[in-house]
Amino acid sequence: MIVLSQMLDFCGIEKERLRARWVSSAEAPEFVEEINDFVDILKKLGPSPLGKEQVEAVA
Amino acid sequence: MIDQVKQKINDLLSNGSVKGVVALVHTNGNVAPCLYQKGDDLDKLCLGDTDSAGDARYPLNKVLVTLSRQYPDEVFGVLVRGCDERGLYGLYRLNQLDPERVVPIGIACPQSLALQCECKKPWPDDMMAGETSEGIDQKGVANAESNSHSERFSYWKGQFLKCVKCYGCRDICPMCFCRECSLECEDLVSKGDLPVEIPVFHLVRAMHMADRCIDCGLCDEACPADIPLRLLYKKTAQIMNTEFGFTSGIKKYEKSPLSLMGPAPEK
Amino acid sequence: MDYRNTLTTCTYCGCGCNLFLESIDGKLTGTTPCKTSPVNEGKLCIKGWNAHAFVQSERRLKKPLLRKNGELVEVSWDEALDYAASRLKDIRKKNNPDAVGFFASAKVTNEENYLMQKFARAGMGTNSVDHCARL
Repeated sequence: MIVLSQMLDFCGIEKERLRARWVSSAEAPEFVEEINDFVDILKKLGPSPLGKEQVEAVA
Repeated sequence: MIDQVKQKINDLLSNGSVKGVVALVHTNGNVAPCLYQKGDDLDKLCLGDTDSAGDARYPLNKVLVTLSRQYPDEVFGVLVRGCDERGLYGLYRLNQLDPERVVPIGIACPQSLALQCECKKPWPDDMMAGETSEGIDQKGVANAESNSHSERFSYWKGQFLKCVKCYGCRDICPMCFCRECSLECEDLVSKGDLPVEIPVFHLVRAMHMADRCIDCGLCDEACPADIPLRLLYKKTAQIMNTEFGFTSGIKKYEKSPLSLMGPAPEK
Repeated sequence: MDYRNTLTTCTYCGCGCNLFLESIDGKLTGTTPCKTSPVNEGKLCIKGWNAHAFVQSERRLKKPLLRKNGELVEVSWDEALDYAASRLKDIRKKNNPDAVGFFASAKVTNEENYLMQKFARAGMGTNSVDHCARL
């Protein structure tokens, strides 16, 4: 994770798009919070510049 | 330098301490990897230099791995530069070679080659010929980092789009020995599609190189699309160094931090 | 112990990339691009990198096959050539020379390809000649 997120950053991809958390199966509220938080971040970042259409437009 | 190497190979072969020596040969106007055995002519021995220093290097460690898989009980000598020796240490660590069955013949790289490679350590620990050149700072990575986020993105996207998926970077790599390769796993990399999925293909390989890459630069030289793969792996190596204090192949028998469970070891 | 790297030319297309076929005791084990070749300068495509793979393949055809009663059976070269010759003549007579097409291969030499098109044009009288390197 430490390495990959920095590699993404090096390649110009927002490292916030990658996330790993350990949540126990007994911790439903934490899971919900985590997912909501992540979805919020992703919504702020907008669609990935590497979506299929964008890449094909350049190719 | 080459005479010293010839002498050494001759000694090793004639006293029977090795079965053969993996090195390079000048043949039909080309340079090729080869195995010298007792009684072979050493006149055409080559150190991998033709027009400029080190422009005809081959993955000799890969040849060594192939040979020792076929003849696991034999002892082989091998011609190594600084990077190749780091490769040997890596292959010992990953149980692909037995240090008891390898006799390295170390040569130092000239300053010009070290500069071109931005090599941190252009000499092997176990050196028998050549003058030690100075290690060079990795300016390439810093240069790439000085660009803005979006510049970096369009740069790498442009580079990765050129990929023709020849798998040459993997095939030439002396540290790639797995019988099953993640880049052929259809769950990660779709079969028969171009351009490759960006950045998955190249970053999967970069991640697998994180604790292996010895910065020999053969992938860069083998890439038909001229993708700066070496720069990418230099960055991975830099992260490994700053985060874990680990440099692939710099210390013999050093374990990779990626193979340990639990908190990061002390730097 | 016999370890060799044999310099050869890639058989896949007309570019003519130079590569070394690596063999141990007579068995092919790998391909390495030739760095000192002016053609490919130490680079290869996916096909070239796997140039050693098909040589010892069990699925490789070693004898001519002829379809008899809907099934492919191994036959001698004489039988295969006689059959091909008689059918070519037949088709040419019943229709016209353009009812036949010739498909050459990058895996044979230039000279053999030359002969093939010569046979097509001068022998059969058709210009329908193509080549597998248009992959």
